[in-house]
Amino acid sequence: MENVSIPILKSGNYLITSPQVALHDKLAVQFKKDILGRIVETKAEGLVLDISAIDVVDSFMVRQIGEIGTAASIMGTQVVVVGLRSTVAMTLVEMGFLLRGVQTARDLEKGLEVLQKTGRR
Amino acid sequence: MLKKETQEPILESSDVSEENIQELAVELSTLLEENANEIRSHWVKEMRRSGVLASLSAKEIEEQSRAIYDTCILCLKTGSYQGAENYASSMAKKAILETMTVDQIISGLLILRDVYGRFIFQWYHKNPAKYAEVVHTYEPVARRILNIVALAFVTERESVIKQQEAVMRLSTPLVEVWEGTIMIPLIGILDSARAKQLTEAVLEQIAKTKIDVIVMDVSGIAAIDTKAASHILRTMQAAKLMGTEIIMTGIRPDVATTLVTLGIDLSNVVTRGTMREGLEFAYSKQGWKVTKD
Amino acid sequence: MEQELIEILEIKSEADIIEARVRAKAIAEALGFNYMDQTRIATAVSELARNACQYAGKGKMTIKPLNKQGKKGMEIVFEDHGPGIENLDRAMKGGYSTGGGLGMGLSGSKKLMDEFDIKTKSNEGTSITVRKWL
Repeated sequence: MENVSIPILKSGNYLITSPQVALHDKLAVQFKKDILGRIVETKAEGLVLDISAIDVVDSFMVRQIGEIGTAASIMGTQVVVVGLRSTVAMTLVEMGFLLRGVQTARDLEKGLEVLQKTGRR
Repeated sequence: MLKKETQEPILESSDVSEENIQELAVELSTLLEENANEIRSHWVKEMRRSGVLASLSAKEIEEQSRAIYDTCILCLKTGSYQGAENYASSMAKKAILETMTVDQIISGLLILRDVYGRFIFQWYHKNPAKYAEVVHTYEPVARRILNIVALAFVTERESVIKQQEAVMRLSTPLVEVWEGTIMIPLIGILDSARAKQLTEAVLEQIAKTKIDVIVMDVSGIAAIDTKAASHILRTMQAAKLMGTEIIMTGIRPDVATTLVTLGIDLSNVVTRGTMREGLEFAYSKQGWKVTKD
Repeated sequence: MEQELIEILEIKSEADIIEARVRAKAIAEALGFNYMDQTRIATAVSELARNACQYAGKGKMTIKPLNKQGKKGMEIVFEDHGPGIENLDRAMKGGYSTGGGLGMGLSGSKKLMDEFDIKTKSNEGTSITVRKWL
């Protein structure tokens, strides 16, 4: 597989990223590294992870999101996952997977609102 | 190569007189009755061969084949199709719910028609004129019976579909109370099928429009089964993940007890007693305050 | 006349896992499953394909359309010649949230599909059959 990297944008005190492809092994590892690297770099207060382009979320993906959430919070950054599709939300609930350590919101706009409301300061 | 020779003319249906038809009908039905066992087992064998009987037990095959066979002969003999109509509509109601498909029933009848045809040929072919008359007597009856059966199935199926649609329509009125808040008053019996349809409608709406809160009022629910209850709960959790809070209002004490007895975990569900309290919750969630001028 | 359309895929790598679920989803759609069910099927396939890849190194997925007396559906079989599953009961009990581990995939897939059948033998391999009906 080619080495695609997922862009991570900065908007004020927050980071925003929106993976457009399925996160397989190597890509997931790279992605996590990139996110944590950017958090350290920017000391971002929050991260919005937009998964609206992802149509299937399995246990592997849930774990990746959980790890991103945990690592980020250790560094003082909150993570909000936004854009869950109805089909994805339903399968997660049916499988009994909870997205621990991260909040969820409807979209980018709402996600940023949530981050502002529960911000550090 | 078929040679075009001068043959006996094939009688047009209108050439056979009424009395003649009556006589022939009785004659034919008597023959069919007398040879019932032989013809019926031939029919069953043919059906087996074409896979029509796949899902049936020996007992069912015996019962149903006898019933159909006798019904057909009765129609032929009496000229009245009431028997066929009654049988057809009772079959239609049963088949839709149980193991036989419309395809099986109609194929079975078409094979019976062919089988009758073969026996008629066997008995009458040596007398071409008489054969033609018998065929003209028999064919309309066969056609009519098949028609009755097909129509009974289609009608039954259409009525089932209409019922389902009516239920669907009743079941999900999504009322937009104001921007971002929707109310769903549920009424009647909530079974799994309805619960599934409700879920789809709700989640689709959430995906399409920006809904912050859904107030789902269940005070009008007469009965609910475990599967439906679990399904609704999961829908609420899924909606929450998507950023919409669903709160339940109007849970009657007896419904609450039933849910608890069924082991449904309501601890993470936001509930309020009345629709009004639910709406107040919705306002506060959206940061609004209601004042009176 | 309906042809026997059987889809077979070897699963050896991450890319195959994704390919597996894309194909499964496409077939589900072609068979008439709605979006929700397509996603359930694709998710279960993703779980089971990943298990085969991760725990057995490689596996084979076979997708078959089903037609039982007019009832239509889809069957997917995952076979591998891996180490087999030690304690099937424990593995099926799964767990919840934080994800990962054999159990997650198995119990999760079971919840998403209508039928779930698993045969496993130490050192010989595992065969998992799942079905979903329309």
